[in-house]
Amino acid sequence: MDAALLEVREVTKRFPGVLANDKVSMSLESGEIVALLGENGAGKSTLMNVVYGLLSPDGGELYYEGHPVKVRSPRHAIDLGIGMVHQHFMLVEPLTVTENIVLGNEPTKIAGVIDFSTARKAVAEISKRYGLAVDPDAVIRDLSVGMQQRVEILKALYRGAKILILDEPTAVLTPQEVRELFKVVRSLVDEGLAVVFITHKLEEVMAVADRVVVMRDGRVVGEARPSETDMAGLARMMVGRDVVFRVEKKPSVRGETILEVDGLEVLDERRLEAVRGMSFDVCAGEVVALAGVSGNGQTELVEALTGLRRPAAGSVRLSGKDITHASARQSIEAGVSHVPEDRHRRGMVLEFDLAENMILGDHRLEPFSRHGVMKPTEIARVTEERVAAYDVRTPSIRVLGGALSGGNQQKLVLARELGRDPKLLIAAQPTRGLDVGAIEFVHQQILAERDSGKGVLLVSLELEEVQGLADRILVVYEGRIVKEFAAGEASDEDLGLYMTGGGGDKFAESTEVSVKGLGT
Amino acid sequence: MLSDILSPDVFAAAMRIATPLALAAIGGTICERAGVVNIALEGMMLFGAFVGVIAVTYAGNPWVGVFAAAAAGASLALMHAFASVTLKTDQVVSGTAINILAGGLTGFFMEVIIGHPGTTDPVPRLVPVFDFPVPSAGFFAPMWRWIDVIFLSHTPIVYGTILFAIVAHWALFHTRWGLRLRALGEHPRAADTVGISVVRGRYSAVLFSGVLAGLAGANLTLEQVGSFTEGMTNGRGFIALAANIFGRWTPGGSYGAALLFGFAEALQTKLQLLRDVITIPSQFFLMLPYVLTVVVLAGVVGRAVAPAAVGKPYEKG
Repeated sequence: MDAALLEVREVTKRFPGVLANDKVSMSLESGEIVALLGENGAGKSTLMNVVYGLLSPDGGELYYEGHPVKVRSPRHAIDLGIGMVHQHFMLVEPLTVTENIVLGNEPTKIAGVIDFSTARKAVAEISKRYGLAVDPDAVIRDLSVGMQQRVEILKALYRGAKILILDEPTAVLTPQEVRELFKVVRSLVDEGLAVVFITHKLEEVMAVADRVVVMRDGRVVGEARPSETDMAGLARMMVGRDVVFRVEKKPSVRGETILEVDGLEVLDERRLEAVRGMSFDVCAGEVVALAGVSGNGQTELVEALTGLRRPAAGSVRLSGKDITHASARQSIEAGVSHVPEDRHRRGMVLEFDLAENMILGDHRLEPFSRHGVMKPTEIARVTEERVAAYDVRTPSIRVLGGALSGGNQQKLVLARELGRDPKLLIAAQPTRGLDVGAIEFVHQQILAERDSGKGVLLVSLELEEVQGLADRILVVYEGRIVKEFAAGEASDEDLGLYMTGGGGDKFAESTEVSVKGLGT
Repeated sequence: MLSDILSPDVFAAAMRIATPLALAAIGGTICERAGVVNIALEGMMLFGAFVGVIAVTYAGNPWVGVFAAAAAGASLALMHAFASVTLKTDQVVSGTAINILAGGLTGFFMEVIIGHPGTTDPVPRLVPVFDFPVPSAGFFAPMWRWIDVIFLSHTPIVYGTILFAIVAHWALFHTRWGLRLRALGEHPRAADTVGISVVRGRYSAVLFSGVLAGLAGANLTLEQVGSFTEGMTNGRGFIALAANIFGRWTPGGSYGAALLFGFAEALQTKLQLLRDVITIPSQFFLMLPYVLTVVVLAGVVGRAVAPAAVGKPYEKG
């Protein structure tokens, strides 16, 4: 039998305090797509960085086409025929597509003068051969993320890659771009390449992979063919226990009204009406989900409710008290907690340690400070307590926020926001970018909040999340609430129809709106 | 009246004054394009100016001084590269230290070698390259005089700088060297992953800028003044950094910006000489180069974008 194109044998890689790869073995053949599946921090990227020569292993061997190799550097990996597309693109933004692709392997005339016409021709040729259309003279920073990723793939192909490693390639893409990417990956494999697809998303594995290698805690825990398994089986391997995709929940016990929104209108940055007269309420002990396609006023609504943006008209009341024009601080004091949609920009300060992040917003209050002086021991005590209660995995509370994985960052934000015992929790896309284990945890916390008599307003783009958590579903479209459903009343198709401007009694009005939308 | 002010010698002076600024500015361009801030241009220029004069004092030939000046600039640049690339110290701190060091070194060696502080004795200078007989009469005589004064009256480094600016500008956008340099200052990790050595690229760029700053010093002492005075660079290294920004991190733009400063300075000098004719307080003329700086800054620099990774030490892995 022929030797595998690439074989990894018992590779071990240690970082201070962490065993990132523990005797990991896997192999790769030409013409197949192997998904490397695992939660964030399972060691997938570490393993591929070893293969790509960015990290040197502490033990184990690599075999390339049957020969043992030590990959010394990315350059060496490229020379062997291994290309990698990183999560953060390695593209020089002010340079053109062609310049980026040939960088480091420039065709030259005499005296180091770059032969741009040869370069352009080479780029055109590979982009035609693999069906990756791209303008060779476009400047990178003018391209969409999907296009930039295409340039990264071309870069690897230009260097003669036989193996292409894609590190979480779909994380930054729109659903359409994801479909395009899958097509491209399939055509690469048809041309005889081998593709390693790093991901934590089960649907993607099912959709694109020929074979799945599952990693957990630095070890390979299983291997399967998508055709011979299902998502539940893969999830069990990945997390190490059964994963509940749909959360069990008790029936809602509705209490008094907590949030009353009446005729709210909010403008966006361009002074256009983003929220066009929304009225709804949220009661104690219920989860109200706002379902909708991104950009239909959800962001502006949440900002208006949390004091980050001034409403143009309408009123907001919390337990009867008017908070329409409350500042962010007054809103927190009134009992509104907020899990922002962008946890890096608004949820936390990446350069602060966990303890500092834990008290943001409450830093000037007792017991964290007195007379303007912080009380470090008290801050540390509360942080330790909450880090344990919310299962934030970290070596210490002195670690910087930016060093945590996405799931742990979100747990930290939840710990802070729920720790101050709010009346209302506003959670905007609380599980964006998280892996299944962390998603499950966040969902449980949201339901626990509900069951303890708090009101929850959930803003989500994920239908599954909306269906799983909500007691009432409000569908938003173009800044208005176009439909309300009780839990379990609507199918995904029903929701999708209203979310995109179609559906039932509103049909006539909505088509008018969408036609207008097309014109502008 | 206007012809008195805008006489050919003003334009010629502008080119002379622009030369050290342009050399240092292009040095700054190359250095920053590779991702390293070089505020030590001032010190490298001063040290080059000094070492150039000392070398000529001993060797007699001004060309020996030019080479010595370039080497002197490069030696300080090596320190800057070591500190900022290898040791990853803050590039502004390292640059400031080198500026202070250059002032101290030149002052100290003035005492040791020359025997007194202040100014050295005059040394032989580089002479103008061309020496055409200018016809004193005839239809073309006035025009010929203009051309001769503005374009044909200069010393070697002045011409060399123009030539170099053109070549470097072209090379930045058409050669492998230029492409890699631009990548280094924008996204060093991208360069690293395709096998371009960030350390080597940055070292050579910093050394190159040191050579150019040293040559700028040589132009000051061995072409313009003919002797060395302590602190004589008088902020030119910093004006050069500004010229580099005006010129949007391109050699051609740097030269153009330097020429603009040179023209303002030459005009200011000229207007001061004419103060008996023009009854405007001389302070206004002194202001001119600075007003120009502010105007250009407000108009041009708002849109200039520095290389993304400039000033950031590169951490591997």
